[in-house]
Amino acid sequence: MKRVLANPLACWGLAITLITLLLALFAPAIAPYDPDAIDVKQILLSPSASHWMGTDGLGRDVFSRMLFGARISLMVGFVAVGIATIIGVLLGAISGYYRGWVDIFIMRLVDVMLSIPTFFLILAVIAFLTPSIWNIMIVIGLTSWMGVTRLVRAEFLSLREREFVLSAKALGAGDLRLIFRHLLPNSLTPIIVSTVLGIASAVLVESGLSFLGLGVQPPQASWGNILTDGKEYIQFAWWLSLFPGLAILFTVLGYNLLGEGLRDALDPRTTN
Amino acid sequence: MMQYILKRVLWMGPLLVGISLISFLIMHLAPGDITTTEASFNPKTSQESIQKLRKLYHLDEPVIVQYGYWLKRMVKLDFGNSFASHQRPVFWQTKDAQGNITKGMIQQAMPITLMINVLSMALIFSVALPLGVISALTHHRASDRAITIFVFIGFAMPGFWLALMLMYWLGVLHNLLPISGLHSLDAERMGLIAWTLDAGKHLLIPVFISALGGLAGISLFVKNGMLDVLHQDYITTARAKGLPENTVIYRHALRNAWLPLITLLGLSIPGLIGGSVIAESLFAIPGMGKLFYDAVLMRDFPVIMGILTIGSALTLVGNLLADIAYAWADPRVRRGVAG
Repeated sequence: MKRVLANPLACWGLAITLITLLLALFAPAIAPYDPDAIDVKQILLSPSASHWMGTDGLGRDVFSRMLFGARISLMVGFVAVGIATIIGVLLGAISGYYRGWVDIFIMRLVDVMLSIPTFFLILAVIAFLTPSIWNIMIVIGLTSWMGVTRLVRAEFLSLREREFVLSAKALGAGDLRLIFRHLLPNSLTPIIVSTVLGIASAVLVESGLSFLGLGVQPPQASWGNILTDGKEYIQFAWWLSLFPGLAILFTVLGYNLLGEGLRDALDPRTTN
Repeated sequence: MMQYILKRVLWMGPLLVGISLISFLIMHLAPGDITTTEASFNPKTSQESIQKLRKLYHLDEPVIVQYGYWLKRMVKLDFGNSFASHQRPVFWQTKDAQGNITKGMIQQAMPITLMINVLSMALIFSVALPLGVISALTHHRASDRAITIFVFIGFAMPGFWLALMLMYWLGVLHNLLPISGLHSLDAERMGLIAWTLDAGKHLLIPVFISALGGLAGISLFVKNGMLDVLHQDYITTARAKGLPENTVIYRHALRNAWLPLITLLGLSIPGLIGGSVIAESLFAIPGMGKLFYDAVLMRDFPVIMGILTIGSALTLVGNLLADIAYAWADPRVRRGVAG
């Protein structure tokens, strides 16, 4: 932890991610207005003391919508990456521990998944299902586990020959005990790093999908679909497109910085 | 070398089978079958078009037989006709009884997307390489810091937002660049040079947007590669025997650092192709990404399945080309020293 805090990248990343997380958590307490309250007398007001980020085409307060949008965008990021990490760790562990034909099968599955353009895959699945926040989390999760799988497998392959694993095995530890007590805890660093970086890319993908109208559906606010509304009014109301874009940029930047910082701080190979 | 390439080509077979399986599974994700999805999304769906869909995918047969038909059609690159766009063939042109040729949808869209991707790759390569080298050579100094900041912002930048901002700022506010399509309305009457300039102006922002993510990633990659190589013994040796610094860096270090870049460019193809959806639909460029997006909105299943498969096949071909280029560039593989 001390090494993480000594790393300037990680500090900035931690600060940004904590701020966005707190804003999202306490959105109902912070938001000055109801994010869905339509007020036809207050349409497209530019940013002012009463509406910090202005109002949109239906007179809704953009700042409040941004706060509630943060909840949706971050939740999609966390859940999608959670799904991807669980799948990736399980498959990678099986692959690296048991090797043999299971390993060959899983690695070929990874190759196949990596050769289908991810965004096409996600859109195709969304086209056959209905776009809803749950479907989006599941789809992003199911299409982004390949990196973690490869990582965990590589860690397991190198760890399983190490003395502490061999000695545990010699003492009669079973497969599950070896995997969950010995191998997995020693592979945590790369898993954590890839999880943090994964949140960044999931937030980007979700905002892209919502921007195309195939993600989170209005009236539920997400940064992506606030931006879609903003696109319509870009000539009269710059604030509608500026703020959600900046929010996505900073959030993604935060998770990337945190991820890279953690990698630098925790990986003994890169510190010198 | 030939053996290596042959092995790679043969390897594409099982991958294609895997892709066909996954795309087949996606088709069966829909609750009920895809005809009910089609009907529920599009109340105007006629009984006739539902029958066509059932026939196209052999939905009345057992699942395993359906997959057999799907695989057969994939091998023949036959994806049927579009439902939404006047029954146009999805992939390649067809001739009717009168000898009229109808161009395929992917046939027309693919060259545009390929061109944008080749241009973005060229941009990525020509900008990321020098940025990475400069960053490594001035490690921890001001220019390295500036490049690192650029890299992180490039990584985090939502491309569609930047595209929107540039579109508004350069296109609408200052009227410097066109904001939609591939050619101006009067492009047909232009000479070759004017026509090329016109297309270039239309492509400037889309190419920049689709290159941005890769640009950031690859500069970082070149920088780390260079830093690694610069600490190797043979670099110290080269310096010790009194070679000029430029020779050390460009002939000894860079040539070793940029090799993995070829593989990385190959790996970035699916991202580039997939990323074309946003850039093309925002700028109304009639490539595969826009075609795909429109198909998804219309639930035009034959087009969706066709592009998904062709996009994956393109990725495989791209990876194969990258592998061959790598083998050609790396003397160890070329002369069969390493595996």
